[in-house]
Amino acid sequence: MKKIILLFILPVFLFSSCLEIIDDLSLNMDGSGTFKYTINLSSSKIKVNSILALDSFNGKKVPKIDEIEAKIQQFKELLKNEKGIKSVETEFNKLDFIAKIAVDFSSLDELQTGIKSVLNQLDPASKYSEDHSLWVSWDNKTLKRMIPQWVEDRIKTETQSDQELLKNGSYTCISRLPKTIQNSSNTVCKLNPAKTAAMLRVNALDLKLNPALLEHTLTLAP
Amino acid sequence: MKKCIFLYCATIHAIVFGQGAEQLIPSQAVTVFSINNTDLLQKISVDEWINYDFMEEIHQELFDGSTDNKTVKDAGLDFDQRLSLFYGKTNQFEVTGFTFGVKDENALFKVFDDFEALPSSFQGIKIYQSLFNNLLIDKTKGLLIRVEPVESYLNQMTDSLWYSRGNLSPFYAMDEDQFMEEEALEKEDARKNLLEKNYYELRDSLEFELQKKYYNEVLVSLLSQRKSLYSNDSIFRELLTHRSAGVFYMDNSRNIDRAKNLWYLKTVLPTLYLDVQELYDGNIITGDLTLHEGSVEFDLKARYSEALGSIYAEMNHAKFDANIAPFIRANQPAYFSYNINLRSAYEKAYDVLVPILSKAKDPEISFNLLLLKLGNALVNKDALFDAYKGSLFMTFNGIQKVKTRKITFFYDEQTFEYGEKETDAEEDMPIFTIGFSTKRNDLPEMILEHFSQVTSKFENKGDYWVYNKAIFDAAPVFLIQAKGMFLITNDQDLAENHRDGYGKDAMSKRAVKSLKNSGTMAGFANLQQVAQKFPSDFLDPSQQQLMEFLRNKTGSVTLRSGETTLQSTSVKLKYSFNDSEKSGKHFLDLLNTLYLLTK
Repeated sequence: MKKIILLFILPVFLFSSCLEIIDDLSLNMDGSGTFKYTINLSSSKIKVNSILALDSFNGKKVPKIDEIEAKIQQFKELLKNEKGIKSVETEFNKLDFIAKIAVDFSSLDELQTGIKSVLNQLDPASKYSEDHSLWVSWDNKTLKRMIPQWVEDRIKTETQSDQELLKNGSYTCISRLPKTIQNSSNTVCKLNPAKTAAMLRVNALDLKLNPALLEHTLTLAP
Repeated sequence: MKKCIFLYCATIHAIVFGQGAEQLIPSQAVTVFSINNTDLLQKISVDEWINYDFMEEIHQELFDGSTDNKTVKDAGLDFDQRLSLFYGKTNQFEVTGFTFGVKDENALFKVFDDFEALPSSFQGIKIYQSLFNNLLIDKTKGLLIRVEPVESYLNQMTDSLWYSRGNLSPFYAMDEDQFMEEEALEKEDARKNLLEKNYYELRDSLEFELQKKYYNEVLVSLLSQRKSLYSNDSIFRELLTHRSAGVFYMDNSRNIDRAKNLWYLKTVLPTLYLDVQELYDGNIITGDLTLHEGSVEFDLKARYSEALGSIYAEMNHAKFDANIAPFIRANQPAYFSYNINLRSAYEKAYDVLVPILSKAKDPEISFNLLLLKLGNALVNKDALFDAYKGSLFMTFNGIQKVKTRKITFFYDEQTFEYGEKETDAEEDMPIFTIGFSTKRNDLPEMILEHFSQVTSKFENKGDYWVYNKAIFDAAPVFLIQAKGMFLITNDQDLAENHRDGYGKDAMSKRAVKSLKNSGTMAGFANLQQVAQKFPSDFLDPSQQQLMEFLRNKTGSVTLRSGETTLQSTSVKLKYSFNDSEKSGKHFLDLLNTLYLLTK
């Protein structure tokens, strides 16, 4: 399972000279919706390829391309079977190193429980399912985005190197809501003209140094 | 008469200088690095010495947390004796350790306080143990030794015992658990966990027993039968009489990792294996590290059998190809040239190997031999060896930004929907050039023409070819034919602007002359430039450690091969520096570099 964690969250911080992450959440009024997550390492192809040619990097085993593909497939199959998950689509462009996942869910709680459960199945020692912190919450009026403590801890402890290289990376967080957004708690967060979507874009290095940059609350108009 | 005097002196010398702790190096050792402490320590303090990476290892072996703030110099070691590090490997076990002189045994055990005395069945030898380390004291000589079974052998033995007892595999087969129901999976997990625990307990027990067995085997051979590397090998004995600051020894004929390449031959055709193995008899590599004003030199000598020597001697009958020189810049961070007479070597190898292969009664070998003989009779050797004559060079040209393509996402400002588009990108890449001498420019051209018809990635640019997206499906490689050379490079500047060489920026006539006089191999590296220009991100942590170490060093390394005879060939590695540091310090720098390279 560490490979999945490595794949989706950490390695991009570990060995990317320029990475792009898009975290895109669309919500319906009943709490159902679609979650899309994209990691783009295409501008670091040479570097990623050279790392993939190694057996280990920074003391960690480097997975082979087919192992990464197999893990993505396994993640997809397991997530599909979780309660409240309607469909899961994955895509891995191994030439350009772009990984995408799209999940249709019935509720945000079920999405988060499902993901934690799958992570736990793939790595029982991780005990993610015992972690009750959320990274998204929704109460029909407000949408709250935050960084779970375990992710914050791991980013801080496992991404000591490559600070310089993270400077060109970005993390884009998009939220699409079923009604007009009245305001955002984060001034950096941009609303679209129709005020139905919000986009927060943060530099990868800044995010590593201060994960709270990504936190924001969107309040719907009454 | 002169010979008699020399032999007499050498014997006296061996007796005087050969009574050191290196007599305790086991006969199974294949590689030894021995430092002449007296010579070295006159030039450098122990405090500086113990800061090196290679001493760190020894430190860790000897000192644990309870001996904080104590150093090697507190350990009662006799620095008038050599310190020798050794390593050896058989099919069953590995032996590592080092020998040293003992000056003050009490001080030694104040530092080595984790070692417990054990009863010794070897006369005059005190034996101590701490976990896997074993310390043996023979009066003023000390040996720290660790013997461990080879992991693959241990696994093989464990599996053999495990399955012979009727056990099932303790591990999941590929995706065996993928579609199991949760309850079944939990039960299977518990069962596998128990099996795995039992398997590893068996493996641990076996490891312990094998360790005892092989440790005892080494000690009996060394202390009862008095068979050591020193007593067994006259070349090693002679090497230790050298007054150089350090000596290096490797018996390649007993190098098990090299022998692995011949495993098929050994298993399937044991008689033929012995014949081929004969070629490697006496293949011993020795080296001397000597300190000079402004430089440290490493003189390496490879000895081999006469049969192998006859091939090498023919191979070295080669003239330096002057066409190489224009493609090496005067300020090149690093370059290497290799110059052999491939045709002479082929013909001699044919003469040597055909009689050996003819002895084989195996139909497959016999058929291959027939093909070899037919090839020899029918192939146009003039054309073949004109295509590749045997001269090549390689250069490291630092790093350059190379053009690649990347996918970026663009956003619709109205909806924040996004899509992909391909754009130009730049990435850092180490730039290398490799060039071969050839008289047959028509052959590469013919091959490239063919490839360009098969794939559009090959592009004819008139005077040169580009193989687009050749490296990691991102960066191009350039293929150039010029001045009797065929060049392969990822250096766009060379392809576009210097296809006929670097002109006045090429290496000086003096440097070219030095290359010509260097024999088969020559090389140069500006340590700091290489370390600073080579992107560390491409390296694994141990290589990064080496680069980090080199970044703070000034100086250059040159490699020159020397005379090749039927019995031996020599290579000289020279580390030159022009700062005020003492040569002893640079010696340790070089030693540390070699250590980091080989660890």
